Amino acid sequence: MKSLSVALKDLQIMLTDRGELIQLFLLPLVFIIVFSGALGAIGSGEEDTRLPLPIVDLDGGEAAEALQAGLEAAGGVRPEIFDQAEAQRQIDGNEISRMLVIPADFTSGTQAGQVVELRLVSHPDADTQETEAVRLVVVGVTSDLALEQQIMASLRQMGEMQANVQEGGEVFNTERVLAQARSQFERAQTQPLIDISQTVPTQSGEREELPDLDLLAISGIAVLFVFATAQVTARSIYDEKKVGSFRRLLAAPMSKSSILAGKMLPNIVVGLIQFAVIFAFGVFGMRLFGLSSASIGNDLLAVFLVCLVITLCSTALGILLAAIARTENQIGGLSTLVVWGLGILGGAFIPIFILDQYLGPVVKLVPQYWANRALSSLMLRGLGLADVAIEIAVLLGFTLIFFLIGLWRFDFD
Amino acid sequence: MPTILEVENLSKKYGDFEAVKGINFSVEEGEVFGLLGPNGAGKTQTISMLTGVIPPTSGTARISGHDLHSDMDEVKKVNGLVPQDLALYPTLSARVNLNFFGRIYGLRGKELKDRVEDVLRIVALTDRADETVDKYSGGMKRRVNIAAGLVHQPQLLFLDEPTVGVDPQSRNHIFESVQRLNRERGMSVVYTSHYMEEVELLCSRVAIIDEGKIIAMDTVKNLIGILGGGIIYVGLEKVDDALLEQLAQLPAVSEAALVPPPVMPPPSEGEEPIAEADPVVTNPVVKIVAENSQQAVVNVISFLNDQDRPLTSLEILEPNLESVFLHLTGKKLRE
Repeated sequence: MKSLSVALKDLQIMLTDRGELIQLFLLPLVFIIVFSGALGAIGSGEEDTRLPLPIVDLDGGEAAEALQAGLEAAGGVRPEIFDQAEAQRQIDGNEISRMLVIPADFTSGTQAGQVVELRLVSHPDADTQETEAVRLVVVGVTSDLALEQQIMASLRQMGEMQANVQEGGEVFNTERVLAQARSQFERAQTQPLIDISQTVPTQSGEREELPDLDLLAISGIAVLFVFATAQVTARSIYDEKKVGSFRRLLAAPMSKSSILAGKMLPNIVVGLIQFAVIFAFGVFGMRLFGLSSASIGNDLLAVFLVCLVITLCSTALGILLAAIARTENQIGGLSTLVVWGLGILGGAFIPIFILDQYLGPVVKLVPQYWANRALSSLMLRGLGLADVAIEIAVLLGFTLIFFLIGLWRFDFD
Repeated sequence: MPTILEVENLSKKYGDFEAVKGINFSVEEGEVFGLLGPNGAGKTQTISMLTGVIPPTSGTARISGHDLHSDMDEVKKVNGLVPQDLALYPTLSARVNLNFFGRIYGLRGKELKDRVEDVLRIVALTDRADETVDKYSGGMKRRVNIAAGLVHQPQLLFLDEPTVGVDPQSRNHIFESVQRLNRERGMSVVYTSHYMEEVELLCSRVAIIDEGKIIAMDTVKNLIGILGGGIIYVGLEKVDDALLEQLAQLPAVSEAALVPPPVMPPPSEGEEPIAEADPVVTNPVVKIVAENSQQAVVNVISFLNDQDRPLTSLEILEPNLESVFLHLTGKKLRE
């Protein structure tokens, strides 16, 4: 109860400090707007977002041209004609991820109603989901094309047969033509004339799917600013010692652990409110600024638990900062390093899959990295609590370490 | 009178430095007890130990029968602390500050409200209780600081240098408040200060503390009585033991002794010693403890004239706690 009194008093003090309120609640939203806009421009922008599809045309005939036109019209892929040798060189060098090879007998084969084979070749490291997307586009276009080719061939055949019949005789009435067309259509469905063989890629390693970059800013900035409340906790303890009110707390009939709990509670409350404000802005407010709305994922309980663990970690970090720093300048310097330096290293502004790629295991030493990883998994990839168990465990580990060192070094005198 | 505070061999060490060196004293119920000493003498450390802010290195104390080590929670409920610093939250109002300090002592509801109103009346700040503390003058802040230590109605109030940086008007107000609390509510007070006038005015008994030790403890009257009628410092060109003996035998003089010459501090590290400069020659000074200072001065000057010993300086100190401290330590209280 006395801890609660200390916490309420700290919250009252915080409410009187406009600068701190702006830093805790308004600044994150400004950062999100700026960084979502910037990352969104990088991620979507005006450039062609269709997947490039190099085509090696060994046929050069009417059907091959129709196939290319069909792919162009279908959208999703951007066909580009390549010389076979050049395409092979580029795919070997991983300069292009995949190519479609049209065989020399493509036109004659389809017109003769024979099965022909298109080859979709992928580099082993090519994104499997992108390759699958390309394959589906090619399948869609080729099945239409095969059906067209088959119906046209049938009609031509029926026309030739009708021409050979004596005058007044009728071999193909309307009903027979429709029945023939239906038969061709069903055959095209069950026995496609154009087969697509695919070089199944052997991936050298798992590659993370690129999420919406503009939405990454929401979790990144939220984590950054929730960890920034550690600075508020440290400063609050320092101020209390500086003005001497900490002596009054020590002289009151309350234990040291109650005093510390009272100093920590506001950080937890403020951290959770920060998350709520930032996520609410992500879901409801982003649209007002012409940005994509965020999703907080499919598992709300998991999101809440991760947010709680992050605020606990930030609070323990605040105690550690208060225990280590002896002067106001030291609090400022250490906070800048720990909150902003490690925050950026932990993925506040740069997506963690990029940090993973360029900085390797170093980023794993930063609690903000695990916080960002957990929130990205839940909010952007729609995963559940079980999928972020490791991240939660690591964050709790950081919390325990910070708190124990903080208690060990804390100067109550 | 029963004892509310009994201190036994209390000491506090920081590494090799001993801030408080095994002090003993007691305070009776309803007494205003003074701890007088210069800055750094160990007053605040003593109070900090007695209020549970820091643990003692050794020794103990009993407050209202509760032991400092085994019953700290009860000790804290009995105590009230008014620290030397303005231990308040400047962006909150006086009322909110007092509500908070009441709550951490377990006060709630109407009792808390009544107590806050009561202490606001005591420090005469009811009218301005809802203004934030940072808008108050220094004296008003000091008064709120005192109110915060009173809100839970302590039996024993520790006031640590409560008048530092306070204007004369607020200082008088603080004195009145302390006297009223003691007189009307029977509150026991331990009052620390390095202003001897305050201690003389407020305290019935005083412990003089220097370098972590209590060097004298008695009523103000008895302490001043150590000096009898005062102290006379007489500068002469030459002093010998025979002269000191003759001076001590004069009527109205009770004691005569040579004041030790000042010790020159060694040059600090990296500082060149002043080898070339002429050494400063100071005349010897005799300290005379008088039974009656006016009569003693007449007798001493007459005797020295008869002996043809010219005076190089003369200083007469009236008997008070300042001169008692100087007499006991050779230092001034505010050095």
